[in-house]
Amino acid sequence: MIIVQLLINGLIAGAIYALVASGFSLIYSTCKFIHFAHGSTIAFSAYFLYFLFSMLGLNFWMAVILTIIFASLFGYLTNLVVYKELRKKKASNTILLIASFALLIFFESLILIIFGADVKTIGYIKVAEGLQFLGAVITPLQIIIIAVSLVLLISLFLFTKKTKIGKAMRAVADNKDVAEIVGISAEKIYSWAFIIGSAIAGIAGILTGMEQNINPTMGTNLMIKGFAAAIIGGIGSVPGAIVGAFLLGLAENFGIWYLPSGYKDAIAFVVLFIFLLFRPQGILGKKNN
Amino acid sequence: MFSAYLVSILILVGMAIIESLALQLAVGFTGLLNLGHAAFYCIGAYTAALLALAGYPFWLCLLMAGVVPMIFGFLLALLTNKIKGDYFALATLGFTFVVYAVALNWTDLTNGPLGLPGIPKPNLFGLDFSDNISFLILILVITLISYLIIKRITISPFGKVLAATRDNEMATKVLGKNTFKMKACALAINAFFAGIAGSILAYYITYIDPSSFTIMEMIPTLCVVIIGGLGSLEGTVIAAVILEILPEPLRFIGFSSSIIGPARQMIYALILLVILIYKPRGFWGKVKLE
Repeated sequence: MIIVQLLINGLIAGAIYALVASGFSLIYSTCKFIHFAHGSTIAFSAYFLYFLFSMLGLNFWMAVILTIIFASLFGYLTNLVVYKELRKKKASNTILLIASFALLIFFESLILIIFGADVKTIGYIKVAEGLQFLGAVITPLQIIIIAVSLVLLISLFLFTKKTKIGKAMRAVADNKDVAEIVGISAEKIYSWAFIIGSAIAGIAGILTGMEQNINPTMGTNLMIKGFAAAIIGGIGSVPGAIVGAFLLGLAENFGIWYLPSGYKDAIAFVVLFIFLLFRPQGILGKKNN
Repeated sequence: MFSAYLVSILILVGMAIIESLALQLAVGFTGLLNLGHAAFYCIGAYTAALLALAGYPFWLCLLMAGVVPMIFGFLLALLTNKIKGDYFALATLGFTFVVYAVALNWTDLTNGPLGLPGIPKPNLFGLDFSDNISFLILILVITLISYLIIKRITISPFGKVLAATRDNEMATKVLGKNTFKMKACALAINAFFAGIAGSILAYYITYIDPSSFTIMEMIPTLCVVIIGGLGSLEGTVIAAVILEILPEPLRFIGFSSSIIGPARQMIYALILLVILIYKPRGFWGKVKLE
C-alpha cells in the first residue's frame, strides 16, 4: 500500500518539521524577527550528540540531556551576545534578520571546519526491522519520533496557556509596550523564548540525527522547512505552525510520488509561494494590516 | 607567477563589484532585501555556459546571461508583489532554494551535480580572450560599463523614484507613481547584472556546478553591500575590492582548500555581524537599514 506508506512518511517528516516550526514560531511571535540561526541550533545539537556519544562514548541518555541543555544555552547565548546588542542600538528587524542570516552561515561554516563535509551517523539505534502496519513499514524509532513530537507539542501548548512565563510570552507577543507597563521584562521574556525554542530545536536535531545521517547543511534545510511550515500555518501561531508542518510533510512526500526525490526541498517553497500569494496570513493566522 | 596570481584576483574583484552593485541597487536604492540574488547569479551562469557550449558567440551569451535572469527577476517581482519586509526576504530566499534544486536535479539540462565542464573562453569579433590578461581587460571593461549604467540609473529621475519608494511607498503612490513597476524594474536590473556576474564566473572558471550557487555564496555580496553602505555605489566598489582581497592571506598560511572555503565564509559572516552591531550604516552609507 503505497498511499499508507507515503502518509506515514509524511507524518514522520511533519512531526520533525512541527518541532522546528513551533520553536521558530515561538521566537518569531515574541521577538518579532526571523531567527535564521535556528537552523544552526539544530545542526549544532546533532553534532554535539555525535561528539558526546559517538566520539567520546558517553552514555546515550546522558548525552541526550547534555545536548538539550547545550541547545538551550546556544540559543540563549546567541540572543545575549548578538541580538540583545543589536536591540540596544535600536536595530530594525531587517538588521536582525541579516544578522541571523550571517550567524547561520557562520555556524554552518564552523561545523564544516570542525567536523568536515562528510556525512556522519550517530548509530545509537541499530537499523531495526520495520513493523508492518496496513501494508506499510514503520520503524520503532519513527514511532518514537512521532510520540516525542506529540508530547512536546502538547506540553508547549499547555506551557503557553497555563504557566506564568507562557502567559507573559503571549503578552509580549501581543503588545510589548503594554506588557512592559504591567511589569513584564521584555528582555527576560525574549531570553525565555530563545531558551525554550532552542531546546525544542535541539530535540529536533537529535531525532533527525538518529533517523537520518547528519551533515553540515542539515540545519539550514530543516530551518527552511520549519519556517515554511510556520508561514503556511500562520506565523506567530504555534498551533498553526504545527498544522502547517504536517501539511508540508505530507505535501512533500506525496509530491515526490510524481517528481524526482531531489525536488523535495523545492516542493516546500512552491507550497510556501502559493500561500504567500493567496493566503499570506496562513491557515490559522489572523489577518492584519 | 605573482602577476598571474594578481590577475586572477583582479578578475574575481571585477566580478564581485558587478555582483555587489547589482544587489546594492535592490537593497540600498530600492529597499528590497533580495535574498534571491544567488538564484539570478546561478541562472546567468548556466545560461552563459549552456549557450557557449552550444557554440553561440560570446556577445550573445553575455547578453542572454543578463536577459534570462532579468525575466526571472520580473516574474519574482510579480509573485512577491504584495509581500513586504521579512516575508519578502523569505520568499526570495525560497527562490534561491528552488533554483538550486532545479540546477541540481534537472540533469538533462544542467548535468546535475557533475556540472558543466569545458566552457570555451570568450571570443569577441575575432579577438581572443583565452589568456588571463586579456580576459582581465575584458572583465574590467564590462565592470566599468556596468558601473556607469547603474550610476546613470541611480541619478536618473527613475532612480529618484526608486529611492522615494524605499523611503515611503505610500507617499510615492499618492504622487501617482506605480511603485510595483518601480520595484519590479529594480529587481529585474538586479537580476540582469547578477546574471552578467554569473556568466563571468562561468567563462573564467570554464566549469560550473550547483555548489557555487548555495545561499552561503550570498554572504560576501551582502557583506559588501552593507559595509559599503546602503545607497552608495562608490562605497560598494571600495568594499568589494577590500573584501575580495581580505581573506587571501589564508591561502599563504597553508590551510587546505577544504578549510579555506568555509573560513572565508566565516570571516565574512563575522565582519557582517560586527558591522551591523557597531556601524549599521556601513562606511559610506547614505540611508539606514529599515
